[in-house]
This record gives sequence, structure tokens and C-alpha cells, in this order.
Amino acid sequence: MESLIEELKTKIIAGFALEGVTPADINPDEPIFGTGLELDSIDALELVAILESDYGIVITERAVADKAFASLRALAEFVAANRT
Amino acid sequence: MSRRAPVITGTGIICAAGCGVAAVWESVRANRSGLGPLTLFSSPRYANHLVGQVRDDVDELAGNVRGSRSDKLSWIAAHEALAAAGLESGFGKINSARLGVMLGATVGGMLGTEKFLTALLRENKHRFGPLRFHECAGAADLCAKKIGALGPVATLSTACSAGAMAILAAAELIEQGEADLMLAGAGDSLSRLTLNGFGSLLLLDPNGCRPFDARRTGISLGEGAAMLVIEAEETAVARGAQILARLAGWGASCDAFHATAPQAEGRGALAAMQRALERGRLQPSEIDFVSAHGTATPDNDAMETRALQKLFGEAVPPVSSVKRFFGHTLAASGAIKAVLAVQSLREQAVPGTPGFEIADEKLGLEPVKEFRTQPVAHILSNSFGFGGNNVALVFECADFKSKISNLKPEINSTALTKKGFAVLGIGAVSAAGNSLAEIAVTFRNGGAVTSAFAVPAVLPHTQAKVYAAGEFGAEQFIEPAKRRKLSRLQQLALVAARKSFSPEFAKTVAPEKICVAVGTGLGSLNDTAAFVENLILKDERAPRPSLFTSSVHNSLASQIAIELNFSGLNSTPIQREISFETALWQGMTELASGRAELALVGAADELNQDQLAAGMRWGWWHEASPEIRPFAGALENRERPLPGEGGAVVTLGHAENSASPLAFVSAIRIGRSENQNAETEARWILETLARDGILIGDVDLLLTGANGLAKLDSFYRAVAEALSKLAGKNIACGAYKHACGEHHSASAFGFVTAVGLVHDEIAPEFCTADKTVLPGGCRTVVLFTFSPTGTKGMCCVCA
Repeated sequence: MESLIEELKTKIIAGFALEGVTPADINPDEPIFGTGLELDSIDALELVAILESDYGIVITERAVADKAFASLRALAEFVAANRT
Repeated sequence: MSRRAPVITGTGIICAAGCGVAAVWESVRANRSGLGPLTLFSSPRYANHLVGQVRDDVDELAGNVRGSRSDKLSWIAAHEALAAAGLESGFGKINSARLGVMLGATVGGMLGTEKFLTALLRENKHRFGPLRFHECAGAADLCAKKIGALGPVATLSTACSAGAMAILAAAELIEQGEADLMLAGAGDSLSRLTLNGFGSLLLLDPNGCRPFDARRTGISLGEGAAMLVIEAEETAVARGAQILARLAGWGASCDAFHATAPQAEGRGALAAMQRALERGRLQPSEIDFVSAHGTATPDNDAMETRALQKLFGEAVPPVSSVKRFFGHTLAASGAIKAVLAVQSLREQAVPGTPGFEIADEKLGLEPVKEFRTQPVAHILSNSFGFGGNNVALVFECADFKSKISNLKPEINSTALTKKGFAVLGIGAVSAAGNSLAEIAVTFRNGGAVTSAFAVPAVLPHTQAKVYAAGEFGAEQFIEPAKRRKLSRLQQLALVAARKSFSPEFAKTVAPEKICVAVGTGLGSLNDTAAFVENLILKDERAPRPSLFTSSVHNSLASQIAIELNFSGLNSTPIQREISFETALWQGMTELASGRAELALVGAADELNQDQLAAGMRWGWWHEASPEIRPFAGALENRERPLPGEGGAVVTLGHAENSASPLAFVSAIRIGRSENQNAETEARWILETLARDGILIGDVDLLLTGANGLAKLDSFYRAVAEALSKLAGKNIACGAYKHACGEHHSASAFGFVTAVGLVHDEIAPEFCTADKTVLPGGCRTVVLFTFSPTGTKGMCCVCA
């Protein structure tokens, strides 16, 4: 799980071109969106696209996304359980 | 003088619920949804979604006119509306110069462009044909040509409020006295772009939308068009037309909040509704029925309900959402709702809300479930678009004794510009430079330098020569976190806006008193193409939401409002070469009425490789094309001037509130001509100047879109000569495209050039034909733009 968390951190930093942010700056137990990373709801939807292209997970409902993005740890668990 | 009240004398409609007002009303009466399977194109991702697709015989219904599907849908609705208004066989005594077209559009010819991109990416074939009908302005150009309109003709693209925004703008033109009769409405076809775009935002409900229902999860996408014939009451009565309903009030606002999500409390929606009621001098208690935007997304319906509850308190009138009848038809939505509102007022009956079953306790609002008769004198119709672009319209029963026409006019064309408005700031991004000083140097050097731009290598040529904007300081003006979400075009427009606007201007101005109208000819082409290419190459896997939000044309104006917190009217005109002039008209209209104290107006366009490749295939450009030299007559036959990109935004304010304006602007007007006749245009310019009290003898220069095309340049020169004759003095003919290249937003750069000229920063001899020196300097410039489709625009810039 920890390695998946690190992998997702890297994807988020690269996917959103977060300048000056290192994986260590991201707390895996904080919400991913609406916090210090300055990621907003469009980024959340971009992450939905990343999950689909990289892990084959198709999300079509916002409620599912909201739950999965509660924290990076929650996301890692979601990815582990649903990846194809 | 009484206010020229806009009345509706004809309506037309085509959508999934039927073709023609009678057929659609029959579906409404039966509460029968027209949603069904998608067959127009194959969509692996959304094959099982219900959509509002129009019947199959669109081409035949449109009389086989040439154009995109959106253009055809628009013309079908327009034809019906004109016939209903008794105008099928001609316009009788209506002067064609007082006849205009104002349409909304968001999709335009995207469906055809998708076919082009599919052939390119899947089969490596260049089938450029459909790109001829890509532009959103196509429907307005087609309708104007069909009816011979020679008054104002333009297109507005404010996403899902565009149809309502077009009706609002048409009403303004009638009230100002710019036109006696306007064809107004909107048409949008289904497309992969919008289907996958809304899908990428998780805003689609596969089983059909359920407005205001507790289980609602999103929209059903639809297509269609609706048109209204809107006339000045006095001229409608004079020709004996039957008045179907009145347009009693209209209002616009911007949330200034988010690119796609509405502001949760419905702040902007409430403001638009309040402005519409104020405009009609109506109390909330006088509204008998609300035709909600009601898209059935969780956020929209919650926000709209809150706004309605704030406006009406305990006494919210009956509310319906008609979205499940035909889906969310984007730009057409507001126009379709307008036609249905007119029908409700005539029939004294209101539509139900198909799809609604279970009330959402969190909302505390239960819509009308089924069609029912009820007395209706006034209907409030809401339209809200991405970017928080909100429009509310109030329709009034024709029999209702109107108080509108007895009111003092809010504005008329004389008051619109008599004193002129102050140009407080300018911001430009162009191949000529990004400041007036840099631009002046470029003019002194004889024009801008072109650069190479790579195009797809399947053509004999691999690069095009272009006037690129280059680096324009996005890093300096936009923080990285915001920048990465914006398309190049959005960045370009935002930088121009920031440069033109000083926080000093707004020290004593409330945000709702600042409006933004920034146009574009083609929008964020590169992000739009990237989104669609991604769909094609990956079979619609993982569509990218941020590319879709950039593809929304009015993201240009709304992101400026979001960044700078301006909540007045927000609009993105999209009318080819006169997109800027249309934006200028909208901004100056808001200023003249007092609804705005500051207006940011401008236009921007960007270069794109497919557009360049198409031009090369059509023989417009090649690697050795000469640089633009206006009046040199180097280009003939198929050749076109080299393309460019860039944008300009200017901040305008009231002259009396401005300490040190850069210049003044007046005599704004948009119109259309059937042919290029210099005398006609000179008289049009003279008339426009005269009504704003500007003496033709004061004009020093006619600054034009001359671009090296022999025929066009000699036309512009002939206009200047004809104008000189009328003035009894020599008026020089000038040009600016050698500095910025050829693109749809070039006249915005022309405006900045005009400010530089009257400000003595740019020497006139670097702009004029034959390097004419103006011994007395250049104090008054008329900016005149003539599009190949016949639409035209002008304004006067003076020191």
C-alpha cells in the first residue's frame, strides 16, 4: 500500500505540474482536493481520467470519486481494490 | 419618447420532442419525453445513454442548405419563425437595414470537424471539407444571407446561456433603435466533444435527466434549435403583425466563481433574475411561472432552488424544468425555453417536469409534475452557462396591459455614445509586441516578423509562415497553479485583460458594475483539437476534463471575471472578423445604460496546426508566401494573407469619471452588407458618426482590415475616397495587419493601433497607404472592419 501511495503521489505531482512540491510534502491522510496543494474540482476530474488511463478504473459518478479522493490513503485502497 | 418595447411575432423550434412549435407543444401537453438512443455517431463510451437526438431528415427539412448540422437546425427553426410572423414571402415595408440576426452557438460545426480529425488520425487522410463549416458564426451568416438582413448580425457564445444571451442582445438592439426586427435564437447539434466533455465532468445521467428529483445525477445531452422574431412594438403594430407575447425584462450576470460549477448559493443566478425584474419594473409577486434552467445536475438544481427561494421567499411560483423533453440543448436551451414560454402565455398552460418523481427534501421545492392549465401573465425563464454566465428573461402575455412601452427609454442610440467612453487602459498580445511602445517600433520597421510553425508532415509543406504572438509574459501575470489549467488562448486573453486593467479604476466601483465582453473567432482551437484527438485515438477512454473546459468559448471572458472578480454581464461574441466590434457594442451598451461603470472588451485568437494545414491545402498559404503588405496588392486569386494570432483587451469607463483617459471611443455599430460598395459603406460610416455627434470633417484616418488582398484593399481605399468626398477633405486610409497578421481578432489589435495613433505613439505614415503623412497629426480615427461574409463593424477613436 505504501508503494502505491508513493506511486500516486508521483502521478499527482507530474499530472498537475505541481512546481516545487515533493512527495514528502503530501500527507497521505489529508484530503487531496481543497487543501494546501491548490487542487480544485477540475483537478479531481482530471484525476478520474488518470485513474482510467493508468489503472483501468472507470468512474462515472461523482459520489464514487468524492469517496475515493477523501485522502491519498483512501485513494490507494480504492485503486488496489478496483484496478484491472 | 416611449421605450421601444420588444415584442415576439413569430417562433420556430426543432428538437427531440418534435419539429415545429405545434408538434413540440403536443409532446409537452402529453408530458412525453423525446429522449432516445444515440444514432447520429458511434460513441463507445456513451452508447447506452439516452440523448435528445433530432429526427433523421434534417438535411431535407433545411432545404439542403450548405452548412453544419447546427446551421441547418438553426435555419429550420428560423424558417418556421419567419413564416409564423407572416414574413415567409418577404419583409414588405421593413427596411432590410433595420433587419438583424442575433444567434447563440457553442458547438457550431464541431460534428464535421470531428469527422475531419477522425479521417486524419485513423486513415491519415486530409478531408478538409467540413472545416469550412466549423465556425459558430455560420448559422447567423446563413440566416442573414437567406433573409437579406443588413442590420446588426452577430453570434454570442456563452455556453448554455447563449440562446438567452442572444435574445437579450436582440432586445437591446430593438430598444436602442438599431433594428426594427431581429431574428434571435440559437442552434446546437450533438457532438462527441460535448457528450464526452460533459461525461468527463461526471455530469451525465445515462438513464435520462431527472430535474429536481432526489435521485438526480446529471443531464441528458440534446440537440436542436429555436428562433424568435422579435420586433419593436410600434413597427410590428404598423405592419399589422400579430403579437404573440412581449419580452418584458432581461438581465445578465456572472458568478465570477468557477469554470464549470455554479456558485452554491446561487448569487449570480439571483442577480440575473433581479436585474430582469428590475428591467421590466416587475415585482417578484407578478411572476406566475418559472421555467427553470433545471439541468438535473445535483449542483445546478440546488443552486437554482436557493436563488429562487431568495428571490421569492415563501411564495415561489410554480416551477418546471423541460429538460427531459429534449435534453440539454446547450446554446439552444434558452431559445427553446423562450419559444415554450411564448406558447405557455398563448395557451395559458404550463409544461410539467418529466423525469421528476421523488421530491428532494434538501431542496424544499417540488416542480410542476404534469402539464396543466393555469393563468399566466409573466414567465421568468432562466439560463445558466459554464463560467457562471447567467441570463434571465421575462416574457409577458400579449393581452397584459403593458407598462413597459410607457416607460422612459433606458437608452437610445444617441445616448449610447454621444460623449463617448473613456479608454482607461489597453492590453495587447501580438506578433507586433505586447506594449504600445513595442507595437510602435514594429510599425516603424514596416511590420512584424513572421516565424515558422510546424504543420502535419503529410502535406507537401511541413511548416507555415505565421505571425505568432511568441512569449507574452504569462508567467508574470498568472500564477503557476492557475496557469496550468488555462489554454494558451485563455492565458493570452487574461494577460491582455490584466494589462488593460488597473485596480485603481475599480476603487469605488462595485464588482457587479464591471462587465466583460471578450470575443473570439475560433476559440481555444488547440485544446479543443487535443480533446477530440484523444477521444478518437483512445476510443473515448479517459476524456480530459480540463481540455473540455478550455474548449468552452466563453471561458475566455468568464475566467477574466473569475480572476478579477467582476460580476456584471459576461459575454463572448464569436462572429468572425467582427467578434471584437460585437464585444465592444455589448460593453458600451452596458456602460450607456448605467448597468456597468467599467467594461473590459476585447478579442483573442490562437494559431492551430490543422487550421494552417487546411489553408495550405486550399492554396491560401505556402512556405514562400509574402509577408502582409497592405495596399501593395501582392495577393491574388486563391492566396490569402499570412495568418497570425493575438488578442487585445481594453478597459472602458465613463468619460466624466476618468482623470486621464488614453482616448475616447464612440460611434460603435455592427451591420451587414450584401456586396462591397464603397459609397454605401461611406454613407453608413457617415450616418453612424453623425448620430453620435461626430463631425466627418474631424476624421483624419480610416483604419481598415486591409491585408494585401488586392480586391479587398482597393475596396477599403475606395471607402476612404468616398468618405473624403463626403467630408470635403482628404481622409487617409490605414491598415494594421502587417503588424499582427490575419486573424479573426485582428481588429482588437486595430483598436489598440488607433489608440496609439491618436496618442501620437504610432506615426500615421507607418499605417497609411502610400505612407501618407498627416501634417495635422491624427486625432480622430474610424476603425472599420468588413468580413468576407458581409458582416461589418465600426467605431470611432479620438484623442
